[in-house]
Parts: sequence; C-alpha cells; structure tokens
Amino acid sequence: MKPVFARLWNRLSSINLTVALCLLLTMDLVWGYFCLNRRTALFTPLNDMGLIPWAQTYGSHNLMATGWFFLLLALLALLAANTFACTTSRVAQLLRAKGPGSRQRLALKLAPHIMHYGLIVILAGYLCSYLFTQVLTSSTLAPGSHLSLPGAGGQVQLLAVEPEYYQGERLAFWKNEVIALKARLLLSDESGQRQAVLSCNRPVRFQGYSLHLIDFAPKSLNGMKMKTRIDLHVRKDPGVALYLAGMALFSLGLVLYLYQWIVHREAHK
Amino acid sequence: MITSHTAFQIAGTLYTLALLVALAPGKRPLPINLPLAAAVACNLLAVGLRCHQAWPMLPMHLGPVALPICLGLLYPFTAGDCEPALRRPAQRILLAVIVLLTALALCFPKDFYLPFLKSKTLLAHGFLWFGVVGKACFVFCAVWALTALLPSRQPHAILAMGRSHRWAALGFALWTVSMFSGELWSYLGWGTPVVWEDPALTLTMAAWFFYGCLLHLHLTKSWSQTHRALYASLGGLVMLALTCLPDLGPFRSPFGL
Repeated sequence: MKPVFARLWNRLSSINLTVALCLLLTMDLVWGYFCLNRRTALFTPLNDMGLIPWAQTYGSHNLMATGWFFLLLALLALLAANTFACTTSRVAQLLRAKGPGSRQRLALKLAPHIMHYGLIVILAGYLCSYLFTQVLTSSTLAPGSHLSLPGAGGQVQLLAVEPEYYQGERLAFWKNEVIALKARLLLSDESGQRQAVLSCNRPVRFQGYSLHLIDFAPKSLNGMKMKTRIDLHVRKDPGVALYLAGMALFSLGLVLYLYQWIVHREAHK
Repeated sequence: MITSHTAFQIAGTLYTLALLVALAPGKRPLPINLPLAAAVACNLLAVGLRCHQAWPMLPMHLGPVALPICLGLLYPFTAGDCEPALRRPAQRILLAVIVLLTALALCFPKDFYLPFLKSKTLLAHGFLWFGVVGKACFVFCAVWALTALLPSRQPHAILAMGRSHRWAALGFALWTVSMFSGELWSYLGWGTPVVWEDPALTLTMAAWFFYGCLLHLHLTKSWSQTHRALYASLGGLVMLALTCLPDLGPFRSPFGL
C-alpha cells in the first residue's frame, strides 16, 4: 500500500504537472473570456446563488458556454493538490536539512512555499464561499423601514440617507449627481442597539452577515423625483476569513521572497 | 485648452519619431532621449487630464493609454550596464512595442465610458496602477526574451534571459498585488471577491497563471533556454494583446481622417 501511495504522491508533486496545469489554466481562462464576454448573463447569478444551484441550472443547461468553467474547477482542484504535495515535500526536505542558528535563512527559504500555501488557502476560501454563502439579494430599505436577518434575530433599520452631490466642473454629466452616499443604519438585537454607517465601498458587519450597498435612489438633484431607498446585498459568507487569510499569507511570502532576492543581489555585487 | 486625446495623438507621433531615430542605420546611435522624453511628457499629460477629470473616481479603460508611459519611464533600465550588442536590439523592440500599443489605443479607444461611483476608492486605483506597472514589467520580460532569440553569442542570450526572468518576477509580484487590490475592492463593493459581470477578470487570471508557469520554468530549467525564450516572448506578446483586449473599443480613425 505504501509504495502505491508514495508513487501517487511523487506523481502529484511533480513540477512538470504544475507547468502543464498552469498552461491548461491559461488556455482555459482565455476560452472563458470569450464565453463570458458573449454570455455574461449566464454567469451573473453565480455571484448570488452559489455554485451547486448554479451548476444544476444555468451551468448544466448551457455547457457550450459554461464548459470552460467546469474545466476550470477541475484544473484548480488538481493544481491545489499538486501545489500541496509539491510544497509539503520541499518543506519537509528544508526542515530536515536545517542547521543550527539559521532561523532567518530558513524563513527566507520558506518564502515561495508560504506563497504556495497561501494560494491553497485562497482557493479553499473561494470554494467555501461559493458552496456555503447565504445571500439575500435586493433587500430594499426606505427610511424608517426594517429588515430582519434570517436565523439571527437581528434587525436593521434605515435611519437616514445622506447624499453628497457633485458640484465640480470637470465632469459635466455628473453635475448634481450623487458622488457619495452615507446610509445611517440602526442595528438591533438582544444585546442592544448600535448605529452604523454604510456606504458604497464600506459594508457593515452584523451578526455574521455583511451588508453591502448595491444601489440607491434618488441619484440626482434634478430629474424625476424618486422615493428615497437603498438596495442591499446581505451575505453570510464563511469563506471570507479564509481567502483574506490566504491573501495575507501569500503577501507575506511575496515580501519575504523579494527581501531574499534583494539581499541575494546585494551579496553578489 | 489641449484635450487628453490631442495630447495622446502628439505622444503617439513622438513615440513613432523616437522609433524611427532608433532604427536609423549607423554605428553611432542618434540620441532618442529627447523625442522619447517629450512623448512620455505628452502621454503623462493625456493620462493626467483623464485622471483629473474623473477624480476621485477611476477613469475607465485607461490601461492601454497609461501603459506606454510606464514603458517610456522604465526605458532607461533597458540601457542599464549591458553591452550595446544587447542594448540596441532590446531598445528597438521596446520602442516598437510602445508605438504598436499607442497605435492600438489611438485606433481603438474606449474612453467613452463614464466613471462609476464604486471606483471611488484607493483599492480601485491600486488595482489599475499596480496592474499597469506589472504589465509594463511583462513587456520588458518579453522584450529581453526576444533579444535572447536574436542570433548572437551564447553569453548574450544567457544575460538577456536572466534579465527577462527578473522582469517576469517583478511583474508577477505587481500583478498579484493588483489582483489582490481588485479582489478586496470587489469584496467591499459587491460582497464577493470575483464579480462575474466582468469578463476581463478571466484574462487577468490567465496572465497570472501564464507568468506563474514561466517563473516555474525559469526556476526548474525544465525547458531549454530557447523554448523558454519563445514562451516568454511570443507567449508574452499574445498575453499582452489579450489583456489589452477588454480595454479596446471600436475602430476610430486616430487623427480624425
């Protein structure tokens, strides 16, 4: 049993497999660009409905346009396995070979491997996100109205909307249009109440949910008068922490690698 | 008052002039620094005007207009400490790429889209500018790889490939930072790190895997030097064209002819 596992592990940790997978991923993603460009509407629901329901509906019924995406998933899964096997083998070698008093050198040598593990964590985070995210799309709030968060017993109330209008001269068509918007929310649960400010790139986190401002009205001082409202995407995404941690890990590896590169260059001058 | 488009037209003309000067035969190369510096200044003005107009939002599809600036500003690095036998072809190829990119951006502009509110964040600007500088590094990587393919002595090819590798590594790092900025922006704005409405994201990922593969090839030396040079040069130019594709619009006569 052991030799079979060892052989499989060796094949999986091959760097030639990495090269082949990277090439296939590049070609698949280029194919994906043309499919996505022609049939964008097919992929838009993937943002909200999760991977499995999307695959069972839009995905499986339009295989000519979505085939590249399923291939992408398979290739990424293989790449994650290959990266894990390859990196783990090399890290084990490095740790076995480490001499006394070389902790800093070891950390620098581990830099590319930290990046590789970072990539695996990012991919795991994305998978987790696409499999387990709960999304409440198009939750609309008018001033004074409430929104109940499912299963959490929390309530979100819109207190006020504070728009800022563009008054500059540089963009003529933006004159009197909303250039910034702050939505004041009241968040209530059993533990009490607190206020929070929601804006375009500033989501609010509450009871494990994140609230994102997707749209609002009115958008202009002029034109048709519309009732004040904000449209929210309310998401409970268990993958966020994972992919943010992966990005941090990858960035750490990158910084260590660049540092090592500079030190190496200086030493060879 | 000069417009961004006019400034870019002048920049394009000056880049072409710099290329013609660089291609002029003769043992002593003519100075191209003057037309090149003027071209970069005009290009900076064109980009500056568009950024100023859209600020604090992000001007849309700025990439192909901004890329020649980075290439022009990094141009002195092709001179570096290397011999003229390597330097001159590298500089000529680089200038040809700059002129080609400028011509593409002039003939297929996509400057008619208005900036949008969600781009009012530093992450959006980081996504654009790290991406542009990263792409410039990839162009340098392709240029040095092309230089390595030219018939010359063996040490020249090894030197050129060493430079190509360094630019690929730097470009990869910047491209990664750009991608991470984009993902964070996407998460904060839309709640998901990948917004599937934008097809350009697939090409961004494709370029990342392409250069990830190149770095692995360089480190492991599992392909011959010629094959790696072919991959980095021709593949790199194809990737450049593909990553510029989403920022190009319908054909428009560059000088209103």
